[in-house]
Amino acid sequence: MNRLFQRKRELTLNQRDALWGYLFVSLPIIGFVVFAAGPLVVSVILSFAEWDLLRDPKWVAFDNWRQLLTLTVKEVPQEIDDATGEPLFLCARQKVPASQVAEIEGTIDTRTGGVVTCEPRYMPERDVLPSGYRTALSFDLLGKHYLIGSRDPLFWESLYNTLYMLLAIPISLVIALGLAIALNQKIHGKSIYRMLYYLPVVLPIAATSLIWMWIFNPNFGILNYGLGLLGLPADINWLQDRHTVKPALMVMSIWGGLGYQMLIYLAGLQNIPNHLYEAAKIDGAGLLAQFRYVTWPSLTPTTFFLLITGMIAGFQGFAQPYIMTNGGPYNSSRTVVMVIWSNAFRDLQMGYASAQAWTLGVLIMLVTALNFVMARRWVHLEG
Amino acid sequence: MITLKRSRATRSFFFLGNRQRELLTKIVSYAVLSVGAFTMLVPFFWMLSTSFKEPAGIFKMPPEWIPDPFTLENYVKIWQKTDLARGFANSMVIAVVSTVGEVFVSTLAGYSFARIRFPGRNVVFAMLLSTMMIPGVVTMIPAFTLFRYLDWIDSWKPLIVPLMFGSSFAIFLCRQFFATLPEELADAGKIDGANQFQIYWSIYLPQARPVIATLAVLGFIARWNDYLGPLIYVRSAEKYPIALMLTTLNTMYEKQWTLLMAGSVIALIPIIVLFVSLQRYFVGSIALTGIKG
Repeated sequence: MNRLFQRKRELTLNQRDALWGYLFVSLPIIGFVVFAAGPLVVSVILSFAEWDLLRDPKWVAFDNWRQLLTLTVKEVPQEIDDATGEPLFLCARQKVPASQVAEIEGTIDTRTGGVVTCEPRYMPERDVLPSGYRTALSFDLLGKHYLIGSRDPLFWESLYNTLYMLLAIPISLVIALGLAIALNQKIHGKSIYRMLYYLPVVLPIAATSLIWMWIFNPNFGILNYGLGLLGLPADINWLQDRHTVKPALMVMSIWGGLGYQMLIYLAGLQNIPNHLYEAAKIDGAGLLAQFRYVTWPSLTPTTFFLLITGMIAGFQGFAQPYIMTNGGPYNSSRTVVMVIWSNAFRDLQMGYASAQAWTLGVLIMLVTALNFVMARRWVHLEG
Repeated sequence: MITLKRSRATRSFFFLGNRQRELLTKIVSYAVLSVGAFTMLVPFFWMLSTSFKEPAGIFKMPPEWIPDPFTLENYVKIWQKTDLARGFANSMVIAVVSTVGEVFVSTLAGYSFARIRFPGRNVVFAMLLSTMMIPGVVTMIPAFTLFRYLDWIDSWKPLIVPLMFGSSFAIFLCRQFFATLPEELADAGKIDGANQFQIYWSIYLPQARPVIATLAVLGFIARWNDYLGPLIYVRSAEKYPIALMLTTLNTMYEKQWTLLMAGSVIALIPIIVLFVSLQRYFVGSIALTGIKG
């Protein structure tokens, strides 16, 4: 009787504990439903609807997706001279038939004083692309000129810009690894170096963006001044020129992310067992060979982790270009999230913006999934 | 001739004694790190020096690193004549309230996942962790429509309330930490008939100070630096947090770089103070986030 009573009390104690357990995780579970799972489902539904927040949402099936994702690639022929039937070239803003190009090219332009160069004059996009389509990207391949047409060219251009600026990651990783190796030597002041490099990582992007706008100032900025001291061209309008704006933003994001990557690499370096180096030395490996056969392979998981986290963050870049260039000049620094943001919260196209957000989201999730797959492979390799 | 010399020089590096080679490696390391650190710091010098210049001082070429005349006028002006101080206070309130809530709820949930047995525990934990994989851009629009439905637009609620439900990353860190503590810790409390909240509050939580500090610092910084959130939800200028206030001033006082740099310094100060004084918690947190992948 007594024993039975005790067992019963024990059971109720466990049950009471379990109740406490549920109570403690109840808020996160509610948060999960309301702020994660719910919105996830709603955004899928929204991507099939048209909704401006004022009227009721309207189901449009695949219209948003069709408009967003349909692309057409067209070869663009050179324009033909009506009189002679020859292909046309453009030399110093003049249309010139092919047979006369050789004469004109290389002469001095009387208006600008520069040497005249000629480029093929292509048919305008409206004669090449179907109606409703505009040029998203153009490229040359095997001597032919192509256009990629889309009904939402801005999205694709912004995706191109975003991918372009992801190139900052490998550059940054190389520098970070070099610094981490230097920091991994027996030197003094490690914690100060660590702090200095890491500082930009934690600072508000609004403030650092202002600092860099001032650094990039074409007339009085420190960057052009420094380039001048080195005898390099010092009149570059970094943020207003479509050829320099992306590299300029990349320089700033490398500055802002280097410390994090360096510290992760440092942790990776410290995890490499010393006996691997001893063995390499016995085999007569020099410093380069040690790096090639011990350090680099041991750091592969670290490199991959940094690459993936960098890409996830890079895909969602917003504040830096928003503050520094507002996407300009001519959308050449507009990122995907900037396009989604203005479609959703400026133009109130909630449905269409959701489709755009999911397109980007799927790209990001693919990259994340790749991370998990690769991580599992390494575990197997080690086992 | 030259190539011969060079190859002799590189080869001789490998024939150096261990001592000499170590010394050379050290010198190269110091050189690399110092050049790097200098490059990292130039933007800060540039900001500081500009912020102490008179408005006309920025047009001097070559630029002065130590301003002459040296003035505090920009700081006085941006603090008194603009709404930056208000933005500073707004950010403090938002960051502190949301972080306190986030850390409290997350330690509670982390404790529960690590130390209390209840059916479905692992499933729920995995479910919460999975949210870390959802890119913010995907939930941004539905979240906005939800907050609009609740009539929370143009308030701080969308920035604060979601964190009152904890965050997966913080819960994850807390669970990992509490799992390392011995189970016997709870015995004394159980014998005294304490309930789970009392055990959590008076036995386990005091042990968790390092994790709490790490999460508090990371949370505060994330909220202080957040830009997109307030840009979407906060409409009236008097409710702007400092990040948004700063870029608003950028459009109001365009090209007045001495003023804008002083504003940037002010926006950086709390973060730099936190960062320098609590550096060891940062290093701990970085190691943890590194493992997470």
